[in-house]
Amino acid sequence: MALLEIRNLKKYFSGLAAVNDVGFSVNDGEIVGLIGPNGAGKTTLFNLISGFHPPDQGKVIFAGEDITALRADQVARKGIGRTFQASTLFMQSTVFSNVFSAFYRQYRQPGWKAFLHTPKVKREEQAIRKAAMDILEFMGLAALGGELATNLPHGHQRALGICIALATEPRLLLLDEPLTGMNPSETMEIVRKIRQIQEKGITILLVEHNMRAVMDLCDRITVLNYGRKIAEGTPERIRKNREVTEAYLGREEA
Amino acid sequence: MGKSLINRKMSKNRLIFGGMVLAALVLLPLAVKNAYMLHLFIMAFIGIVLGMTFSMLFSAGLITLGAGAFYAIGAYGSTLLSTRLGLSFWAALPLSTLITGIVALAIGSIIVRHPGMAFTIISLLFAHVVIQAAGQIEFFGGWGGIIGVERPDPLGPIQFTTKTSFYYLILFLLLLTALVFHALYTSRIGRIWRAIKLSPPLAETLGINLYRYRLLAFVIASSAAGMAGSFYAHYFQMITPEAFGGWLSIYIQLYAVLGGLEFYILGPAIGAVIMTFVPEYLRIAKEMEPIITGVFLLVIILFFSGGILGTLQRFWTAKKTSVLSGKEQL
Repeated sequence: MALLEIRNLKKYFSGLAAVNDVGFSVNDGEIVGLIGPNGAGKTTLFNLISGFHPPDQGKVIFAGEDITALRADQVARKGIGRTFQASTLFMQSTVFSNVFSAFYRQYRQPGWKAFLHTPKVKREEQAIRKAAMDILEFMGLAALGGELATNLPHGHQRALGICIALATEPRLLLLDEPLTGMNPSETMEIVRKIRQIQEKGITILLVEHNMRAVMDLCDRITVLNYGRKIAEGTPERIRKNREVTEAYLGREEA
Repeated sequence: MGKSLINRKMSKNRLIFGGMVLAALVLLPLAVKNAYMLHLFIMAFIGIVLGMTFSMLFSAGLITLGAGAFYAIGAYGSTLLSTRLGLSFWAALPLSTLITGIVALAIGSIIVRHPGMAFTIISLLFAHVVIQAAGQIEFFGGWGGIIGVERPDPLGPIQFTTKTSFYYLILFLLLLTALVFHALYTSRIGRIWRAIKLSPPLAETLGINLYRYRLLAFVIASSAAGMAGSFYAHYFQMITPEAFGGWLSIYIQLYAVLGGLEFYILGPAIGAVIMTFVPEYLRIAKEMEPIITGVFLLVIILFFSGGILGTLQRFWTAKKTSVLSGKEQL
């Protein structure tokens, strides 16, 4: 069943089509890759799905519901989590606070009770603290909990971004270049984590330039170029697709 | 384990320190017999409440230059309720606080949609509009203001005729505000504000409706400013538009900046006390006073970014970490 369905999405920026009539779907439990050269419209597509930009045309259907017109926070509450390409974190907060503050949807006690700090609220917060620690543990950042996010090396900042997205307990996770700037061993580690996230039942849409990782991880891949979808299929088929090779390497003059 | 032990010790120290400050504030009128000195404390405490309202908006990533507007709305609301409707201060205080909150809800629902520079400038203009309206419209007393605002009715045996009685009244209102604000900052609402301040787009991906939480901060902060305004009107027993205009909103902001922007309660407290008393003692140099005060503030802001408390904290953590690393070497 399609968890996410994108139909004929279009987005213009000052007359230029950044995303031009793109449609594809992501099935429940899959990892789908979104690849293409720089400027192909991948991040714009992420922004359209997650509600940061309204599309000029087309529809975004999530779990059978039209979410095209929703704001970013409403999309998040529907169960779509995302990370950002540039490390977007609460830089001046500790690693632990970053994840702890990321819990929002899970609070059941009403706000006025939170204000009164009732025992139930304290118990709830205690449980959420533990859940935050568990996520840090899972991503291998538990030892850095007291460090300011801004002081982390780049790779760890990326991992923290994923922790924050996980704290929203998404059904669908949009990962925007999670492997950028990582050394080979860090890359392997994160690839393993992404698999484990999938095993937890979270569906993943992945934008990434590291082709080996994409081919290795994804069930299916969609290729964009100049805002258009130029190919779609299993990693094997994409690898053999002539148009894709051309888009990346340039046309071979015969 | 060790960390929580340090935390517990720190919070215990904090409690002791807080208790001592509280005791000093309660006992202060016994030591300070000079009525003018007590008046300065009363004004400083009003300043603290106003500074805290600036800081609350700052905690949610909004910088206001219009805190004085809601102070004025509270003062005028309370004055009109008392002079036109004959309400006692004890009814006018909560009612004018509520009215200010409702006005803030109406105004905020428009201007909070434009965070950043736009919000700051609109808040400044709004403050200007409020003062002009008070001055130009006869119903609000015009530029001459309104005189004859009733003192608070006696509260049991307590008569509100002395500076000391007003001192305790504003001290109570100040502590109440600080307590409410503290409870908010330490709850998840405070964490949500902080998330919005540190990274609006990231906060949105968590499912936070930025607009609603910014508006919440705006309404709560403005209501507190309105409450301070109500107290002011019944303390002075008269109000004029000028009392809320001019540099007031800038000064309110400076309280928070001087004390330390990241300290939402203690920052304005220290800033407002210093900025109330230091210029008083500079009065000897009368016409030079604003210049000296201005230069003093410039030095603080330029060379001690983070304000007084921020600078102290940096010294403190630097010392602590150097001690720690020394131990590790052993």
